[in-house]
Amino acid sequence: MTAFMQVAGLDHRFGGLHALRDCSFTIEQGRITCLVGPNGAGKTTIFNVITGFLVPDEGSVAFRDRKLDGLRPQAIVRAGIARTFQNLRLFADLNALDNVMIGIAGQFGEEPVGAIFRPLHTSRAQRRRRQEALATLDHVGLADRAHDVVRNLSYGEQKLLTVARVLATGAELLLLDEPASGLSAGALDAVMALLRRLQSEGKTLLVVEHNTRVVQQIADDVLFLHQGHLMAQGTPERIIGDPALAEIYFGGAL
Amino acid sequence: MDFLYTYIVLAEIYVLLGLSTNLLVGIVGIFSVSQAAVFGVGAYIVAHFMMAADPLSFIPSLAIAAACCIALNILVTLPSLRVSGDYFVVTSFGIQLLATAVFINWTVGTGGANGLPGIPPPDIFGLPIETNQQYVLLCTAASVLGCLAFWLIMRAPFGRLLRAIREDETAVAAAGKNVLRAKVSAAALAGAFAGTAGGLYATFLSFIDPFSFDLDASILLLTMIVVGGARTLAGSIVGPFLLLALPQVLTLVDIPTTIAAAARQLIYGLLLIAFMLFRPQGLAGERL
Ligand SMILES: Nc1ncnc2c1ncn2[C@@H]1O[C@H](COP(=O)(O)OP(=O)(O)OP(=O)(O)O)[C@@H](O)[C@H]1O
Ligand SMILES: [Mg+2]
Repeated sequence: MTAFMQVAGLDHRFGGLHALRDCSFTIEQGRITCLVGPNGAGKTTIFNVITGFLVPDEGSVAFRDRKLDGLRPQAIVRAGIARTFQNLRLFADLNALDNVMIGIAGQFGEEPVGAIFRPLHTSRAQRRRRQEALATLDHVGLADRAHDVVRNLSYGEQKLLTVARVLATGAELLLLDEPASGLSAGALDAVMALLRRLQSEGKTLLVVEHNTRVVQQIADDVLFLHQGHLMAQGTPERIIGDPALAEIYFGGAL
Repeated sequence: MDFLYTYIVLAEIYVLLGLSTNLLVGIVGIFSVSQAAVFGVGAYIVAHFMMAADPLSFIPSLAIAAACCIALNILVTLPSLRVSGDYFVVTSFGIQLLATAVFINWTVGTGGANGLPGIPPPDIFGLPIETNQQYVLLCTAASVLGCLAFWLIMRAPFGRLLRAIREDETAVAAAGKNVLRAKVSAAALAGAFAGTAGGLYATFLSFIDPFSFDLDASILLLTMIVVGGARTLAGSIVGPFLLLALPQVLTLVDIPTTIAAAARQLIYGLLLIAFMLFRPQGLAGERL
């Protein structure tokens, strides 16, 4: 029995900057794992490696006993891992519904031949997909914003939309880069409730999060990253309660 | 009345070119300034096969030209996958200059700067197209089919994918889509449009020379998209009809023919600048 996802010995340098140092950890299926660590610790870089946007100097990632090394990002999504971006990267000129529909795999008419020569089949298939996307939007609480262009959504709504877009891919493991940062208290509660709900539906979540209160409330497991190295892994109580880690995390300010 | 037919036929041919350019530049955001080169290759290939010692008829020649232009357009668009935005413009500029150099200097194949006269008129499965009315019919059919294809694409998932790619390729890849394949498909389609336009152009005028397919022509295509409007079907139609009306209007105004060409270029340039500054969404589109 091996881990759901296994990250082993990741090492990466950006020029002189040693961003990841022999970083290893595992993720268990069905759990919410929070990835914490100071700014610049390498959290986003790990996401970039797992999702195929960055090829590490060394190390390897396995998902469900399958090596992902060298796969293109789209192949990794098909394998079942999808990610959001810290800076959202939504399609600002498209509406919320279209942003979600981009995530849906295997659509008919996604290449010109089908679109031109089988237009009726294309629109029938589209109608079904649109229902799926609407259900996904409803799931994150954005059903009433489906036809609004992204630039007209609030920041909190945009964050929810990034989650809807990864949900649409059908991936089992979702990597969420700071889904709760910069949100008002109300929006924060909505996001935390959503993450819990996704877990109860069988998704596995790896979440980058700075807010210790949020980590305590949602995490089953915490990974503590420092200078590109995994310093500790454990329950939220153990990691947050560790004075040595707090010292690193808050730079001795507390 | 003849000039009206000529105007309509040319405008319809340019609608196909407008669709080609709009697809690539407007929708996918691949800023190509070499679409006239692909147009030219289509024209020369159709001329070549219809004038061969053992000539092919129009439809097979057009099919060969379209196939070659699909391949060529994929090839010239490929650098855009490696170099980003601004740099691609420079690459594309080089491709256009290279094509013009070949058109001018490869005298055996293209007739060189003197051009290639005596291209036979087209025929549709043995039915010759000779009168002006028949030409208008043929070109209307071609441009309507082109517009229909464009419209179907834009309402299909493929259209949405292309628009998303223009906004953020990385996010499209993260959503599990194959960006490379989508771009290649768009380039292929744009190539087919340009090649078809080339074949219609060559057989309609019965004479082609390199100066119809030079950098000025590519820039005219961009101007059509900017003035008509990027990313919309209406923009791809309005632009060509409007800008090709300009030379006709100039013939009505009493200016000497010696400066007519220069005046035309001047007006095109002014239009391009004015629209970019004051109405970037064009008459019927979105901002480029
Ligand atoms: N493409 C890159 N080129 C050069 N340096 C990079 C690149 N990406 C990240 N870095 C550097 O690597 C280090 C780790 O960056 P990363 O974005 O992974 O940190 P992070 O833990 O996500 O931080 P934050 O909490 O601020 O989001 C930083 O010092 C960053 O400046
Ligand atoms: Mg980060």
